Amino acid sequence: MTSMEKRLHKELQLLQKEPPHGVKIDVESIHRNLTEWIVDLEGAQESLYRGEKFQLLFKFGDRYPFDSPQVMFIGNNIPVHPHVYSNGHICLSILTDDWSPALSVTSVCLSIVSMLSSCTEKKRPPDNALYVKTCSKNPKKTRWFYHDDEV
Amino acid sequence: MSATDGEEAGGASGTSGSAESENAMFECNICLDTARDAVVSMCGHLFCWPCLHTWLETRPNRKTCPVCKAGISKEQVVPIYGRGSTDKKDPREKEMPPRPQGQRSEPEQQGAFPGFGFGDGGFHMSFGIGAFPFGIFASSFNFNNGRPGPPQPGSANHAEEQVLSKVFLFIAAIFMVWLLLA
Repeated sequence: MTSMEKRLHKELQLLQKEPPHGVKIDVESIHRNLTEWIVDLEGAQESLYRGEKFQLLFKFGDRYPFDSPQVMFIGNNIPVHPHVYSNGHICLSILTDDWSPALSVTSVCLSIVSMLSSCTEKKRPPDNALYVKTCSKNPKKTRWFYHDDEV
Repeated sequence: MSATDGEEAGGASGTSGSAESENAMFECNICLDTARDAVVSMCGHLFCWPCLHTWLETRPNRKTCPVCKAGISKEQVVPIYGRGSTDKKDPREKEMPPRPQGQRSEPEQQGAFPGFGFGDGGFHMSFGIGAFPFGIFASSFNFNNGRPGPPQPGSANHAEEQVLSKVFLFIAAIFMVWLLLA
């Protein structure tokens, strides 16, 4: 078993034991394919996204946890948020530049829920139309510029 | 493997939950396993040396602690030696540099010569007969002005000095014999 698989098993175990509020995983599907996780998220209570359900797709490369996973929203409900493009790509620094191997699926989920929670106005990023037309399928291939740390 | 691990952990959690959380204290922050060849950063975070080394190699120009993002470097981590630890190396890690050494300083020597205790104990004095033209028993005054101490036993330096000291003892013996016969 590679160190990546070992670590993912460990995370899965911890997530099953103490699932954070509003985060759900389908253990069966993960056991079938360890490198792609689908995580169900719920908007936090005191936020604009209360009661909404979202799905996140995590894809792990061989270099995980030294390299960040690919994380994007999938499904038919992509949150309308200034940092989330309509194709599901998320502009969040910990997913690329600020990634650290001490982060985990759980902490990424919590960061995303918190990012949604601090939103005050539901709107798409200003460059959404252009980005969605020109971007790569892999959000990690985008050169992100992190300029707005308010939302 | 994970499934059995999970079952074991699940089964054990009821009876020895505290033991398990105690073990979690000593888990590497990167692989989440019990730290192996453990090192601790100056900011106090525990890692396996192989894990931390891989991370530092991943971003060589921005070395930060994975947990708190403090600046970190290979030289500034402290290895942890537990009592039960064995220093067996995993043969798969040929590329891995050895864990940095712990820094050990010699304790201050105080009052070794009570009669000559000049405050700091750094004053040495020896008497001898000055014999032409080489003083076998040279008299010298040494103020201990920052000369390096004797090398650690076992080091190459130590062995070298042992050999040298034997050679000089031999020369001195020849001289004594010559002096007596002449």
